[in-house]
Amino acid sequence: MVHLERYRDIVPDFESFVESIHRPLPATVRINTLKTDRDDLLRRLSEEGAKYRFVCWNPLCLRIDLEKPGNLIECLMGYLHVQEEISMVSAVVLDPRPGESVLDLCAAPGSKTTQISQMMENRGSVVANEPAVNRIPSLRSNCERLGAMNVAVTRYDGRLFPRHRFDRVLVDTPCTGQGMARKDHSVLSRWSLKRSLGIQRLQQSLLRRGVELTRPGGTIVYSTCTFAPEENEAVVSTVLDRVWVETVSVPGLKNMPGLTRWDSDYGDELEGCARYYPHQNDTGGFFVAKLIKK
Amino acid sequence: MELWRSRFGIPSEAFEGYAFHLRGNNVWISGSAELPDLRYETIGVRFMSTKGRVWKPTTSALQLFGGRATKNAIDLDPDQARVFLAGESQNLDADLENGYVVVSYRGMVLGCGLYSRGELVSQLPKERRIMSDKIENESFKGDR
Ligand SMILES: C[S@@+](CC[C@H](N)C(=O)[O-])C[C@H]1O[C@@H](n2cnc3c(N)ncnc32)[C@H](O)[C@@H]1O
Repeated sequence: MVHLERYRDIVPDFESFVESIHRPLPATVRINTLKTDRDDLLRRLSEEGAKYRFVCWNPLCLRIDLEKPGNLIECLMGYLHVQEEISMVSAVVLDPRPGESVLDLCAAPGSKTTQISQMMENRGSVVANEPAVNRIPSLRSNCERLGAMNVAVTRYDGRLFPRHRFDRVLVDTPCTGQGMARKDHSVLSRWSLKRSLGIQRLQQSLLRRGVELTRPGGTIVYSTCTFAPEENEAVVSTVLDRVWVETVSVPGLKNMPGLTRWDSDYGDELEGCARYYPHQNDTGGFFVAKLIKK
Repeated sequence: MELWRSRFGIPSEAFEGYAFHLRGNNVWISGSAELPDLRYETIGVRFMSTKGRVWKPTTSALQLFGGRATKNAIDLDPDQARVFLAGESQNLDADLENGYVVVSYRGMVLGCGLYSRGELVSQLPKERRIMSDKIENESFKGDR
């Protein structure tokens, strides 16, 4: 837990935060409205006697009482998709509309890509970019299984993604993953400040490119699943000359405001970002910023 | 498109708002929105394989559109669905013409089958086959 100690002053109720990290994560699934609708799906699950609970902030997310929900026939056939509850927040904040042109700059394995596609009802286009060759198959097969027909896959280094103006861009970058500790405890011992600072450069370049690729007035969402301010507010603070920060607040989901300072001053605007801690919603940890291109 | 109408009774309206293109041995279906000028790995979802003499609908395409079939479609019981999902063949007496058929279970399309003279041959590609001991649903459990 030594690496969480640094967050003692910013996390409310620090003891239950630490304690929550030791509890396993509830298994959650997203209902794929490209293939089914909520009523039909719930009826199927009930008929089969599968136990599930709703979450109050997202009608399409279910907590499901199974060790391997991925082996439900509904998952295998693409009516459901196994996805961590809190990671569903990025696309909700991005708020893509049918008919728009959207870029997912760091896309594999495509959980958020396919969520975006379903929010757009398969209309308009989603460019799903992923440079890692070995991660393309998972992205592709999720799109096929879930029926995301409006997705096109590219394989650029996101920092060098060719010039274009999208309506919305999701920048869901690689990170040190501290927020995933409930799933994989080793992320905590592997963390070091050096690692955070090492990955920060990539995150900054990806976000900067994401901003350049957005039309004026368009929306950029930056998200990570880590607590380290070095990878969150510090990254967002480098694009403040080109964007306005819009306050993130998702009804039914508790969050803490972004930090305005840590090792340096980030700016008061950063307060509009959202920090999600595991003990506040019984989820993983997460960070989301919503930015509007000037 | 003609094949979907004549074989399965799926009207061409079902595909309105989508675009099709040929690439490799497949027809792909995608959104009809104009895409930025980029180098693409893939666009959309595989729709039909053009390899054989008769074009074969993909699992993905049938799962998306096969629900609208009015003929050459069959709904299996749990035992039959198990066999089909495992990629195996089975004898089945059904009101189907020889050729490709839409196979579902409890109204959920599982994929493509090839029906000929009382035998249903699963056309599920290897990577989409599922052994019943891997399925969580109660209805698939039990011995076989
Ligand atoms: C956190 S994961 C994305 C998860 C994904 N958005 C989802 O919801 O399924 C980050 C991804 O960024 C990719 N990545 C790494 N370097 C990148 C780069 N230079 N440009 C774009 N993506 C990159 C990684 O391969 C990885 O797949």
